[in-house]
Amino acid sequence: MAKKGIPEWLNSSLWSSSSPPPPIDDRLLRNPSVTPPIVERPPLSPSPSAITTAPAPPLPVRPPSKSEINDLQNGTGNDEAGIDTPAAASSVEDVSRKAQVVAELSKKVIDLKELRKIASQGLPDDAGTRSLVWKLLLGYLSPDRSLWSSELAKKRSQYKQFKEELLMNPSEVTRKMDKSKGGDSNDLKIESPGALSRSEITHEDHPLSLGTTSLWNNFFKDTEVLEQIDRDVMRTHPDMHFFSGDSAVAKANQDALKNVLTIFAKLNPGIRYVQGMNEILAPIYYIFKNDPDKGNAAFAESDAFFCFVELMSGFRDNFCQQLDNSVVGIRYTITRLSLLLKHHDEELWRHLEVTTKINPQFYAFRWITLLLTQEFNFVESLHIWDTLLSDPEGPQETLLRICCAMLILVRRRLLAGDFTSNLKLLQNYPPSNISHMLYVADKLRSK
Amino acid sequence: MVLVLALGDLHVPHRAADLPPKFKSMLVPGKIQHIICTGNLCIKEIHDYLKTICPDLHIVRGEFDEDARYPENKTLTIGQFKLGLCHGHQVIPWGDLDSLAMLQRQLGVDILVTGHTHQFTAYKHEGGVVINPGSATGAYSSINQDVNPSFVLMDIDGFRAVVYVYELIDGEVKVDKIEFKKPPTSNSAP
Repeated sequence: MAKKGIPEWLNSSLWSSSSPPPPIDDRLLRNPSVTPPIVERPPLSPSPSAITTAPAPPLPVRPPSKSEINDLQNGTGNDEAGIDTPAAASSVEDVSRKAQVVAELSKKVIDLKELRKIASQGLPDDAGTRSLVWKLLLGYLSPDRSLWSSELAKKRSQYKQFKEELLMNPSEVTRKMDKSKGGDSNDLKIESPGALSRSEITHEDHPLSLGTTSLWNNFFKDTEVLEQIDRDVMRTHPDMHFFSGDSAVAKANQDALKNVLTIFAKLNPGIRYVQGMNEILAPIYYIFKNDPDKGNAAFAESDAFFCFVELMSGFRDNFCQQLDNSVVGIRYTITRLSLLLKHHDEELWRHLEVTTKINPQFYAFRWITLLLTQEFNFVESLHIWDTLLSDPEGPQETLLRICCAMLILVRRRLLAGDFTSNLKLLQNYPPSNISHMLYVADKLRSK
Repeated sequence: MVLVLALGDLHVPHRAADLPPKFKSMLVPGKIQHIICTGNLCIKEIHDYLKTICPDLHIVRGEFDEDARYPENKTLTIGQFKLGLCHGHQVIPWGDLDSLAMLQRQLGVDILVTGHTHQFTAYKHEGGVVINPGSATGAYSSINQDVNPSFVLMDIDGFRAVVYVYELIDGEVKVDKIEFKKPPTSNSAP
């Protein structure tokens, strides 16, 4: 049934972004086992007292869970430096969530539905867990733990093969072909003087060929794509040492990103490379490379490739130019976001689209195609991706709900603003409480 | 994988108007890393045209070149090969293998590229390889009136070189391939 006015719960002062609630409180408020009716949610001031009573019981819980995590983290016994910064993890919520994740992951056959439910509330920040969970959520690892080593070996060798086939330049290819044919190349110093032997070749096979099946011509055509990939990789996350700078580590990571994107472009001639794919690949590669398990980290490139392919399979239509105006293209997705907003908050929708005439394409295009990586800082976007990847409705639907939540959370400022200020606000979305936002997005689920 | 274009003896505008259109359509910028030219372009316009195909242009003086500042000989190193460049009218008898071999030893190079005869040849002897790319426009020479336009593209990859010979025969572009390797124990002068 159509709702004319704003739903009651939106009226709560909680949703004004000008004063975001402090993070610790929010984790308590979001505890799923305690769901008070939202309109009656008490204002923020009583909650600090709630925190002071809470820590006492969990303290005995924490040491065992810490050791549990240490034991079960791929059995390497590395000490995770970032595991429990006292401030952030002092809440009941966080600890129990960690324990839940670890418990789920340690099973022989992992229940994906259960894992999704836990993961959608956020994963602990130590990279080992997240790396493993994302691989499971993206279908790279099967839920059955015993199949992991064989599957991983197969996939990784497949990637190695891709690299060998696709990343060679035509010179090396022709050399390999000649070697296999047993061709003799004239050796300069040894043979007797005289004319060098000539061999006739077909027109396709020379460097200046313009033929469509020519190895060389395709190589030069690909060079344009490669240059584009190179430029974009250099620009990825310039503020992070992992990705940019002159260190050998950064260079190695950039090369890995380039390889993955190049192989993807070559294997998908319909979509090739589009600017923005580097932003989607970056978090995946980062998580896998920072896996405390050295064995996994060494194969981060191959794992990231397959997970990137999997993630892109849902979103590739956004990048295909021909599909822009079709039912599956980006324009339609943006329209759906618009309709979603209209459904949940008609007043805001009307103000944005009719009164101030902001075409949602101006802000939503980047939100949707880059999966919100550019709107928030790196760590926050990892949290958002936890929810995105784990939601059973699928990443596309979840993304739209989160975008809608983003709009609703700044509704006060949007309603008060005109075209310029609103556009500025939406294109530079203010820093906000992510768990808060994800909670609102969850509430927007259509029943 | 370095692509080196070797050509020369164009004799524009005196003996030929321009490169054949089929050759021009193949020579697009962006693919070739170096151009070595045996000389006799003869005018600046051709020099500029070659520069658009590749900014790294090496050229030596032919007897009809209008720019007197080109050197008589040139040597350069690409990959593991030393290349030598000379127009060839200085070497008498013209096109004689032994005399060219003498020049090659003098320059101390593995591959000597010369022109002047307007005839494609590729010879090897103990000292190395001598390549003549012929005339890219098919201009007549003092010894030969019926010349097929030709040029050479070398793909140099470390110790291995593949030479692609492009000839325009009866209006069709024919491509041949010649390969040779340089043994890793190099005894050429540093």
